[in-house]
Amino acid sequence: MRRSLLAALVLLGGCDAALPGPIGRAGDPAAPPRRGGWLRLASYTNVRTLDPAVAFDEIANAIEHFLFAKLLDFSPDGEGFVPDLAERWHVSDDGLRITFHLRRGARFHDGDEVQARDIKRSLERALHPDTPCPISSFYERIAGYQDYVQRKASDIAGLKVEGDYTLVVELSEPDATMLSVLALPTAAPVCRSAGARYDRDFSARPCGAGPFRFQSWEPGRHVRVERFDAYHEPGRPYLDGIEYALGVPTFTQRFKFEGGQLDYMREFGEADLARYLASPAWRGLGSWDLGRAVHALFLNNEIPPFDQRQVRQAVAAAIRRDQIAAVRPGSVRPASRILPPAIPGHNTAPGQRYDLDRALALMREAGYPYDPATGKGGYPHEIPYVAVNDSFDVEAAQILQQHLARIGLRIRIRAQGWPAYLAETSRRRTVAIGSDGWAADFPDPSNFFEPLFASRAISEEESQNRAFYRNPTLDALLVSARKETDPARRLDLYRKAEDMVLDDAPWAVLYTKRWFELWHPYVRNYRPNPARSEALSFAWIDPDARAAARAQRWAPPLSRGRIARWVSGGR
Amino acid sequence: MLRRAFRRLASSLVVLWGVVTLAFVINFALPGDPARIVAGPQARPADVARIRQKLGLDRPLLEQYGRYLQRLIHPGPRSPDRRDEVHGSCGALGPLHVDLGVSYQQHRPVLELLLSRLPASLLLAAAAMLVQLAVGLVTGTAAAVRRGTLADKGVVALTLLGVSAPTFLLGLGLQYLFAYRLRWLPFDGYGQSSGERLLSVVLPALTLGLFGAAYYTRLVRDEVLGQLGQDYARTALAKGASRLRVLVVHVLRNTLLPLVTVVGLDFGTLLGGAIVTEKLFRWPGLGQLSVDAVVERDGPVILGTVLVASTAVLAANLLVDLSYALLDPRSRGRGG
Repeated sequence: MRRSLLAALVLLGGCDAALPGPIGRAGDPAAPPRRGGWLRLASYTNVRTLDPAVAFDEIANAIEHFLFAKLLDFSPDGEGFVPDLAERWHVSDDGLRITFHLRRGARFHDGDEVQARDIKRSLERALHPDTPCPISSFYERIAGYQDYVQRKASDIAGLKVEGDYTLVVELSEPDATMLSVLALPTAAPVCRSAGARYDRDFSARPCGAGPFRFQSWEPGRHVRVERFDAYHEPGRPYLDGIEYALGVPTFTQRFKFEGGQLDYMREFGEADLARYLASPAWRGLGSWDLGRAVHALFLNNEIPPFDQRQVRQAVAAAIRRDQIAAVRPGSVRPASRILPPAIPGHNTAPGQRYDLDRALALMREAGYPYDPATGKGGYPHEIPYVAVNDSFDVEAAQILQQHLARIGLRIRIRAQGWPAYLAETSRRRTVAIGSDGWAADFPDPSNFFEPLFASRAISEEESQNRAFYRNPTLDALLVSARKETDPARRLDLYRKAEDMVLDDAPWAVLYTKRWFELWHPYVRNYRPNPARSEALSFAWIDPDARAAARAQRWAPPLSRGRIARWVSGGR
Repeated sequence: MLRRAFRRLASSLVVLWGVVTLAFVINFALPGDPARIVAGPQARPADVARIRQKLGLDRPLLEQYGRYLQRLIHPGPRSPDRRDEVHGSCGALGPLHVDLGVSYQQHRPVLELLLSRLPASLLLAAAAMLVQLAVGLVTGTAAAVRRGTLADKGVVALTLLGVSAPTFLLGLGLQYLFAYRLRWLPFDGYGQSSGERLLSVVLPALTLGLFGAAYYTRLVRDEVLGQLGQDYARTALAKGASRLRVLVVHVLRNTLLPLVTVVGLDFGTLLGGAIVTEKLFRWPGLGQLSVDAVVERDGPVILGTVLVASTAVLAANLLVDLSYALLDPRSRGRGG
């Protein structure tokens, strides 16, 4: 009995073991890729569907990039596009016609050749009114879209098949985002066996033309994809397959990563992340993504006191963004502009700045003078601040509460579940102030400005523009930017739009969030893609390094023999 | 006894109907729009509206409720092979069909989802019940027999610790020790083969079972102590029966009655309520499914899991009631 208790105490004492180092060593970066091996990664979330017509969450998207080829893909630098199924494309001078020339010989996983009619069929399948596609309206400027979704036409007139290898996309008005939305998995061609209409059973046997083909999916457990040998890029991919474990808690992911049961990891608990970043053994390994999401607080332009521009500007000037970022060093970065670093048009110049004296002066101008020394004055009513519970928003709100108190604004934090938060904040004249944010659906500035600040994004319910901000000058600027075909001129227009919004302050921008990706050194040729996470299609595994790694695999400090010796009193 | 069973069955059906109706109303009244959750937080209003219409959520509550009940149990198609849009999400129950609808989020029939999760939940519930019964009976009886000794006090203290410690703490400790350090058992998951499944169920069953065993130990200890003080036990001992015989044949048999009641209620709870343990060990059971459904406002799955959990609790209660007649001859004559 006593020995058993002693053994238990020793085991508990072993819980603070040092962080094990990486498995294997980095090889010659110029070494030619080698084929073979399964790559294993995990996520704490689950995949709900693998049908590209309806899936739009981050994990499903990552897997869909393995399974489905698209006309074109986002370039690794995030600034443009690279060919995929289309070997080239041409946008007409008026911006109303995009002609795609498909490569010959590209095959679906079931052996059929990918042809222009497959692209048209698949897009019509995704955009059909019976398909619960969450981003159907991204394609609304394809000519004939409205007639199709209103069941007035049997096909989308603007999708024209000109021979087996040429597809023309005609637009009802110029739309510079069309190439971006055609690079999303929603527009990826699916096998002819998928048919012309959405069928929920397709998700159980997804079939596309991507570098990997579907092997198995056990909901809540894993998705496995295996190499597609007839992939249209000869010699690629290199891996035999990829196993994506689902629903794995972050701390279990860490244990598995350390034990060599995962090759790549991205979802760290804050404490674990700090340990990895501080560990000398892991120094120089891994990579931060640039950040595709921005977080802010919205100030409802229709509810006092935020209907006054000076009060909004005062809020933006009263916030110490560095103090919020200090709570999560590394993953949270202070931000003063709307476009996060991974989005074209990101401006490194300071935007909204902390200036307490200016903030107090603005409050005075607005008719709410506040004396910090006596605590007298300010806005006379307490204002509820809505945040999503179990998120960093609540921690940030606690800091904001103190910042805003310094200019005479008293907020009361109300943390709500995600569904309730969405319902309330998007309803007109309901919430005065609350946390907000946006993650890029695709890397383009329009994806931030149009839903968040355009007047047309305001509605009585389901308003995407939660600040209910109207600015006709901005609206005109956004329309011009959407139609502008010259990329440099277009980005200039968005910079002007950003300055306009920052000055009017319907948002007080707070921070950007970024992910840290880490992989064992035997995983080679992985280059993080700023447009999406886990772009591991063309990574390869060094079999020698992995084998050596297995041999030097971290031995458990408490083996069965050692336990037995403890229990038997060292005999 | 048969009449009693029928009466309980009929009242169970009424209770089930009440539970489904209540769940339907609560689900409708919850803040937040399921179509918005399906479409995603960044979806445009036009896309949300189309999805709402596609899911039938734009219809009045009474119409949605009527349609749900109508589809819940309905006559099957004439041709048994017919699996069209109308019967695509049904399960056959003789000539009748059961249809719990299609999950908003997973786009799969709810019945199929529940049936795919049920074996894992049953396995975990049975294994956890085995652990808590075995540990509870042995330690509870031992503590009662050695009342007042150090062993008894130790057991009482340990059970207090067991009842108050959260399951995730115990689960994490077991996972750390047996999977991470010793590598004897898998971290998590369900396994592919029967052998793997048996290995995989050990840690979650111990987590759930040891937590429950603490309560069972206290219950058994108190019951055994109470029974040992009864006249019949003292008479048996006075008539020369051995202490072991009195304990096993007389005392433990009478201890079973309250234990069976608790086991019946517990089994239903274990079947759908092992949420933390299922999450921790990635066990693909009903508990995790129901939590995900609530978070995602997946109405058909919420109603389906409520229906299954209520059925399990009612069935367990029915069995407990019927088992009374077997365990306690005095109750056979009562009408119930």
